[in-house]
Amino acid sequence: MDSFRFRMSKWLMDRRAWVAGFFVATTVAFAAGIPGVEIRTIFSDLLPADDPFVQVFKQHPNFGNPLNVMVMVKRTDGEDIYNEQTLQKVWDLTKNLDLIPGVYHERLISITTEKVTYAEATPYGVEMRPVMDDSVPTAAEQLRDIERRVERSPSASGYLVSPDHTATLINVAFHEHLLEYGQVWREVRKLTQAAEDDAHEIYLAGQPMLTGWVYKLQEQTYEIFGVTLLLLVLALAFYMRNVTGVLVPIICSAVAAVWGFGLVGWIGSPIEPLLMIVPLLLVARTFSHSVQFTERFYEILGHVDSKRQSAEITMGVMMAPSVLGIITDALGIMFIGIAPLPAMQRFALFCGWWAICIIPTGVILISVLLSYLPTPKNVDDIVGKGEEKGIHRLQRGLLTQIANLVQGRTARMTTVVSVILSAAAIFFAFQIKIGNPVEGSNLLWPESDYNTAVRAINGHFPGVNSLEIILDSKDDDDMQLRTASTADAYRVSKKIQHIAENAEPIPARTTISFSDYLERGNRLLSGGHPKWLPMDPEDKAVTGARVGVTFGQNPINFAGVSDFNFQDSTVSLFYRDNKQETIDAALATARKAVEAVGEDHPGFKVLLASGTIALQEASNQVVVRYHWLILACLAAAILVIATFAYRSIVAAFIVLIPVTLANFFLTAAMYFLGVGLDINSVMVAVLGVGVGIDYGIYLLSRIVEEYSAQDKDLGKTLTASITTTGKAIMFTAFVMLIGILPWYFLSDLKFMADMGLLLSAVMLINMFLALIVLPLLVWLIKPKFIERDDLIVGENVDLSHWTGARRVDDDSPSVPGATVTSS
Amino acid sequence: MHIRKYDIDYGRRKLLQNTAMGAGAGVLMPYGMAMAQDTDVQKAWPDELWSVEAQTKGKFKPGDMITKDNVEDIKHLLDDSAYLQIKEEGREIRIKAPERDISKMFNAGYYEATMNNLKPGNEAKLDSETGNVVTQSGKPYGGGLPFPNPKTGQETWANLAMSWGRADANCYAIQQWDFNGDGKLEFRYDFQWVELQMQGRLDGKAYPGHENEIRRQSVYFASSQDVRGTAFLSNWPYDQRKIPELYGYLPQFRRVRQFPANQRFEPLIPGSTWFLTDPWGAGDPYLTWGNYKIIERKPMLGAWNGNVNIDRENWEPVEQASNNKFWETEYEMTPECIVVECEPTAFPRSPISKKRVYVDTRNSQVCAAVRYDKQGKLWANFEMAFAQFKKGDQMVPGWNGKDPAWSWTYVMIYDHQSKRQSRTHNAERGTGIEGRFAADQDWLYETYCTQGAIQALGTV
Repeated sequence: MDSFRFRMSKWLMDRRAWVAGFFVATTVAFAAGIPGVEIRTIFSDLLPADDPFVQVFKQHPNFGNPLNVMVMVKRTDGEDIYNEQTLQKVWDLTKNLDLIPGVYHERLISITTEKVTYAEATPYGVEMRPVMDDSVPTAAEQLRDIERRVERSPSASGYLVSPDHTATLINVAFHEHLLEYGQVWREVRKLTQAAEDDAHEIYLAGQPMLTGWVYKLQEQTYEIFGVTLLLLVLALAFYMRNVTGVLVPIICSAVAAVWGFGLVGWIGSPIEPLLMIVPLLLVARTFSHSVQFTERFYEILGHVDSKRQSAEITMGVMMAPSVLGIITDALGIMFIGIAPLPAMQRFALFCGWWAICIIPTGVILISVLLSYLPTPKNVDDIVGKGEEKGIHRLQRGLLTQIANLVQGRTARMTTVVSVILSAAAIFFAFQIKIGNPVEGSNLLWPESDYNTAVRAINGHFPGVNSLEIILDSKDDDDMQLRTASTADAYRVSKKIQHIAENAEPIPARTTISFSDYLERGNRLLSGGHPKWLPMDPEDKAVTGARVGVTFGQNPINFAGVSDFNFQDSTVSLFYRDNKQETIDAALATARKAVEAVGEDHPGFKVLLASGTIALQEASNQVVVRYHWLILACLAAAILVIATFAYRSIVAAFIVLIPVTLANFFLTAAMYFLGVGLDINSVMVAVLGVGVGIDYGIYLLSRIVEEYSAQDKDLGKTLTASITTTGKAIMFTAFVMLIGILPWYFLSDLKFMADMGLLLSAVMLINMFLALIVLPLLVWLIKPKFIERDDLIVGENVDLSHWTGARRVDDDSPSVPGATVTSS
Repeated sequence: MHIRKYDIDYGRRKLLQNTAMGAGAGVLMPYGMAMAQDTDVQKAWPDELWSVEAQTKGKFKPGDMITKDNVEDIKHLLDDSAYLQIKEEGREIRIKAPERDISKMFNAGYYEATMNNLKPGNEAKLDSETGNVVTQSGKPYGGGLPFPNPKTGQETWANLAMSWGRADANCYAIQQWDFNGDGKLEFRYDFQWVELQMQGRLDGKAYPGHENEIRRQSVYFASSQDVRGTAFLSNWPYDQRKIPELYGYLPQFRRVRQFPANQRFEPLIPGSTWFLTDPWGAGDPYLTWGNYKIIERKPMLGAWNGNVNIDRENWEPVEQASNNKFWETEYEMTPECIVVECEPTAFPRSPISKKRVYVDTRNSQVCAAVRYDKQGKLWANFEMAFAQFKKGDQMVPGWNGKDPAWSWTYVMIYDHQSKRQSRTHNAERGTGIEGRFAADQDWLYETYCTQGAIQALGTV
């Protein structure tokens, strides 16, 4: 036993005190970084940086600004909003919302703000007055006059007051660099809850509220994590029934966690809160590795009566399969970083690093710990000596049945069934919808406050989803001719609006552009007759209208439709939702409109696109673009690793096929569950591959070992392997299931519930495919590599090197060639 | 005068005491008395309050430059905004020696009227019912500072609001550059700013037919091309409780448009960082603001006097080389600055929670007028510089055609939240306009100060 693995194990265990000291010191150093850990959402980092729509959004962040909270005050008793009580509520809410930190004061709009004006032509000129004067009117006549004013206010009618006059909207924009989602959510909710009564309902929508909900439910999520960890520890205690066996996985997981969090704390890299479930999965994976390692240690300890030496042997034996399994996990997570989403890239670094940390903790630290901690009294029970009882007997019976399915004549039937099921899975996997399949957000349940609010607001106003077609000025520096108010920009934007409003099959619910403001100004300043709405198609006329409309106002008042300099402008098309079919229709309309008006103009280019519709499409496209690439990279990495480990490309494919099929089964399951494919589900798929490959490596390694032990009888080999290593696979899968499945039942965050369900599904799918498809493939192919006994992943070890001169148990493998294998 | 019997902090302590007691300016003697005795008012304050060396323990002296590297050592002599501009934007300010002859800090005629107001029986007062400035007999007050030595925040504000340019008529040619946060020039304007006093005039008589007004003020835009001919007219009632009417004329539509009261908190022109509420530190009638409070009296640096550029082409200041948003500027010590805060009580929806102005007691003129948003965060600073228009042999004649003009020289309005800057200066001329310190008042009235006038300007 002079391989590198064993020499290294010996070297480390000879210095185990120093090694322990190293782990303590390193953990303390990383722990010092933990106060710097930030768990927060950076909206723009969730968008794919290289997507043309995202680039357009970043160039023009004010157009279709998603950092907007919409507060809808709805009168529910059949009255309209023109009464003192309702208007006072809107007045007070507007005033108090303005005090929330991070609010973009100039872009806080309601019918009570002075920016919302109506106009009247008088004999002395045109009067522009706020819809609401300096206080809420109380007299009935004055209240009715507010209705008249709203109807004369282009920015209020239909946009801030619903056509049926029962609802009014307060739009609150925020500065991204000052936006604290949790605080905004709390304060907006506090204000609006206090304002609700029997006659008024208040609905809250917009990205800051959605993220605020995620933050809020994060508190519940941490409670669920606590439950998960408790269940994991209980499962562990139930299985191990001794202190050392429970303590070791906990310590190893905790140390890896400290290293993982410590690094991101030191480098100041924020973590997206939605993805915090992955670290939990890493804890579960550490548990599972530790259990396998500990079990193996006790097996060896049964033969070698020295804890230190058993730990050394276990480290040497388990190093290769553990490292390979963990590296596959880590690579899977790191490949997520291929997608150009800054939040995901940071996350890939954080969790990839954490996964890597499981190697030293799950191979070296664990050995040192086991060598120091007291030997439990139930070692024999753990390693399966004696008669099997209860669940263990049941398990063996089930696994024997499974083993029978993959050999002999039954194998043909199993093959046929597997092929049919796989074909069906592949078929349904390709039916899955990309992106958001619901109105509102799929992160939350359909009946959640947020999604209810989205539906309510969509029911009264143009909607929360817009597609922005941007007229991007070629010369932002020209202070004589401002592109947004040229005749060409006016003509183009009006034509785009006309096409979008008349598009089939899904016309825009409404459209708005800077030209609309100019037309209204032109009409007003020309005397008020509707015939003055269209402007002369000359730069002078359009510029004149712009000066008329914008003088005496902050250009930020027009930030939704024009930039500060009146150079770039946008045409906003509003749609009810951002489901894929709506997105496809909206983009098709937009492309048709751009084709009709021409992309390139002397003063500007027509750019597609920004707004929530375009950003959702960008998020969807990144999945389309990178879903297969990430999985292909992972498959390639597995091929290389497995080929190296088994010295056979056939072996690599045997490991890979069940894993690939598992991905199709998972996607098909998502299709049936109505979960859209997005970057988060790609993460689950990748983690599923990591789990599956672990199972595959352990089972295939066992098959290789058993093949010679069972006198090259493949049938017996498969049965022996499935009933031993299969048992560990089953245990691991169920431990993970115990930890994860409660998410589905406990979480108010649908994302979390979906993740719980999907991860549970992926565990089970991988378990069944590893136990059925992998041995079936071995049975069908009968590969030559299983005859080899020199593979690094082989877990057999000749214990005579350590036991030759000492007493060993009677049934211990003390002669060269005898093996102890992992269960 | 050298006051050895007092320790170095005596002046500051006495100013604190005066603030607490609601006393007027002056440490060694009341400022009003010093003013009445001599144009050299240094006997009102000990040397240490005039001295930047004393106030910084020798770290700074006249001629030194304040930069982001040394600003922490002199922070206590700067307003919050200037300090942050230096620290965050790298603005640089040179220190000059303080002016001790206060006659150089006024228009000659306005100085005379102010001195007259010091005489017993001529003092102005705030009407006990209306709060307006009146004479002892309850009539509209004459010209000059109504309160040469103000003792309350409201008196301080009344000094600023009742005669902005401190002459009966002012006709400025103003050039304005509007920069975004990155220093990119986005808007550029030339405009004529006209102020014509209807009351509070140096002769003590109202402009005929306008006894109920304090002033008329108009703005006529000559450039850029797209806004040429656009004009605004603001009619200020004498009653400071009333919000002035604001009319605009748009040549494209040949129509006068009336603007709402909230216009005082929106930029008059796109791209600008200043609102109508900002100019002269008191852009609104002083009784539309309330809760006046003198929060401090202290020695301070400011552009109270200096920054004369009449020797340069079109009187244009030098742009700071390292940050084009700023002019090169110089500050000097005032021995006593009154720091006043007030709130926009007549504007329930004002986006401003309070203003804080820094007023030099020597001439009751403002250098920094800082506004804070509704959350109490620093928003913007309207920084004005003033000087007698005399430099070496060169002199620009003022109101009477012989004495040197005294006026503002530059204004910089820095928005701390967007980092935008509007930078203006009092120019000799602009595109199609010119500055006039001694314009015929009737001509000004007929050309700029009626609705018909602004319409006529737009047709040019």
